[in-house]
Amino acid sequence: MKKKNSIMGMAFFGPALVLLTLFLFLPMVLTFVFSFTDYFALSPELTHFVGLENYLNIFKDDLFVTSFLNTVKFVVIIVPLQCIGALILALAIHHAAHCKKYFKVAFFIPVVMSLAVVSTLWMQIYSPEGILNTLLMKLGIDAQPFIYSAKQALPSIAIMSVWQGVGYQMIIFLGGLQNINPALYEAAEMDHASGWQKFKDITLPELKPLCVFVFITVTIGAFRMLVQPMVMTGGGPDHSTYTIVYDIYETGTVNWEMGLASTMAIVFTVFVVILTIIQNVLTKDKEGRKHVHKKAKTN
Amino acid sequence: MKKRLLCLAGALLAAGCLTGCQKKQVRPGEIAGYDEGEGYLSIWVHSIEDTEEGQAYRESVERFNEEYDGTYFADIEFIPRNDSGGGYSDKVNASVMAGGLPDVLTVDGPNVAAYAANGIIQPLAELTEDEKSIYLPSIIEQGTYQDQLYALGVMESSVGLYYNKDILEEAGIEVPDADHPWTWSEFLDILETLKPIMEEKGGYPLDMTFPVGESSIYYFAPFVWSNGGDLVSEDGLTVDGYFNSDQTVEAFQFFRNVVEKEYMSEAPIDHLFESGRAAFKFDGAWEVNTIYQSYPDINLGVAPYVVSDNWNGGTYTPTGSWAFAASSKASDIEGATELVKWMSGVESGIRIWEMAKSFPSTYEAFENIDVFTSDENYRALYNQLSNYGHPRPKTPVYPQVSTSFQEALESIALGGKDAKEQTDKSVERINAKLERYTR
Repeated sequence: MKKKNSIMGMAFFGPALVLLTLFLFLPMVLTFVFSFTDYFALSPELTHFVGLENYLNIFKDDLFVTSFLNTVKFVVIIVPLQCIGALILALAIHHAAHCKKYFKVAFFIPVVMSLAVVSTLWMQIYSPEGILNTLLMKLGIDAQPFIYSAKQALPSIAIMSVWQGVGYQMIIFLGGLQNINPALYEAAEMDHASGWQKFKDITLPELKPLCVFVFITVTIGAFRMLVQPMVMTGGGPDHSTYTIVYDIYETGTVNWEMGLASTMAIVFTVFVVILTIIQNVLTKDKEGRKHVHKKAKTN
Repeated sequence: MKKRLLCLAGALLAAGCLTGCQKKQVRPGEIAGYDEGEGYLSIWVHSIEDTEEGQAYRESVERFNEEYDGTYFADIEFIPRNDSGGGYSDKVNASVMAGGLPDVLTVDGPNVAAYAANGIIQPLAELTEDEKSIYLPSIIEQGTYQDQLYALGVMESSVGLYYNKDILEEAGIEVPDADHPWTWSEFLDILETLKPIMEEKGGYPLDMTFPVGESSIYYFAPFVWSNGGDLVSEDGLTVDGYFNSDQTVEAFQFFRNVVEKEYMSEAPIDHLFESGRAAFKFDGAWEVNTIYQSYPDINLGVAPYVVSDNWNGGTYTPTGSWAFAASSKASDIEGATELVKWMSGVESGIRIWEMAKSFPSTYEAFENIDVFTSDENYRALYNQLSNYGHPRPKTPVYPQVSTSFQEALESIALGGKDAKEQTDKSVERINAKLERYTR
């Protein structure tokens, strides 16, 4: 029986394994190998092993450093806005008396739309004579260049990305909120706890594991920023919205330097992995301490 | 038993996934029209079959097969691409490594040098002077790398300096003839005259942007050329002293001047020219058709492309488009050359105009298309192209030159950064990419 089961299992698992190996694991290994070569897409036969040269070069490359800093800026703006925004939206909908479904769908729709479509749409909104500037003029504020200025382009795109992505995390939080045992709130009410106290001492601790999950996925998502600047600004003005993934794409496919692009991809991956581990450790630590704290209180 | 079937199905599925990218070996009789004794020629085009352009290529190949029945058979494959050429170039890159390049493929004009330098395409079989003379000089120039002809295009292109006749008349401005274009200083004076008039209309004298992508170098490199400058050396391997030369720097400063004096909007405004709120606009030749079709109220004219005050009468206006070339894998170069000549010839050129409204590449095709004699705007663009057309820089690092040009233009003209400093930076970046070819 067991043997039969394993054959059956392989039959289902096999095709997926082959495809994963071919299109995921193998490219990953190849990327790692290419990162030590000067592989050039137009003349692959002239590929040499160059050791750590690529790794040293990319850190001397102004553009890579710029794109790295830009990406970090995106993350710093997007992560708090999107995490807190999602939580606020989820709470609002959770406590809404009417039209819950309507709001849920309304906030979720941007997630379903293609990023390229959303970007094109927002280009109209941000355009010099677009709806946003028309509104600003009505309020007596000067027209803003938004995505056409080196100063405003990055925040403009970041805000749009938050708008686009926030619905997804909202749904996750909403699921979490519905899973909290109502008895906890009833008990709190008996103790005359205020709304803020209920939120701080019941909702937030109960949502903690979800918060960690949302925090990490949003961070990784923000690091992978590509489509929005590609469609809206082409990385400009003056490289102000040029991101790491964009740089990897340009280096590899437009300039044909696959070796260098592979190196960038590896450095980027390692960085994100390290960051995720740090996030994990930090958030876990706090959780542990709180538990201790709670225990001390009950004692 | 059932389980064994399942296993088999799984294995088949996996095998199916693996064999998708094998190069097909075609034998006579397998495709309709391919007969015994004919030389088989595969050809890739960067287009979707259902588009007008795709249909034009399809028809040209069908006509080739009729004309060369018994000698050659061409088999066309359509490979879609996005705006920046991705998709198609990905497929070419992959085939360079994995094999499977066709005999003939389309190459974007500025990429001819890179493809030739890396041995992806090979020189065409010798063409007689007569055969060459049917093409516009810009086409021959574009397809030539290190004195050898690699590619011939069926399409040419041009950029016009369009003007609104009514506005210029209102301002009392006369447009010069093609051989006496406005110089930079004359043009700046005109923009100054137009500024108050256009402000009244809620617009700007000039509808101009410096977009990311190929347009910027395509539209605005002529300002460097007419100033006696160049972006790369003759052999395509040096940029220091070219990209950062005084001539280039002056051209960039001209654009800074235009922006600083607010003759154009810093942030692009859609349809500024088309809505009658700009007197001038630089745009591709397709703009003529757009205006005729969608904005009949605009009284359109084509002015000669502006030149530097130091212009010596040489070629300088934008040209270039996709062309056909023989890949290094083509074993029958004579046959491949025949196909390239056919695909870029007069008949194919007339077809590409009729179906896709792209400019053809041969004199005879232009002469056979009514609109290039009867319509003054099309005539002006054709004259500009045939008399003053200048191909974009020919260098294996063209993509880097193109992006650097746009970045420099943006940071100097819009960002107000120092032109010499920025171009020096660009040179450094391009040099890093050139190392591969110079070491």
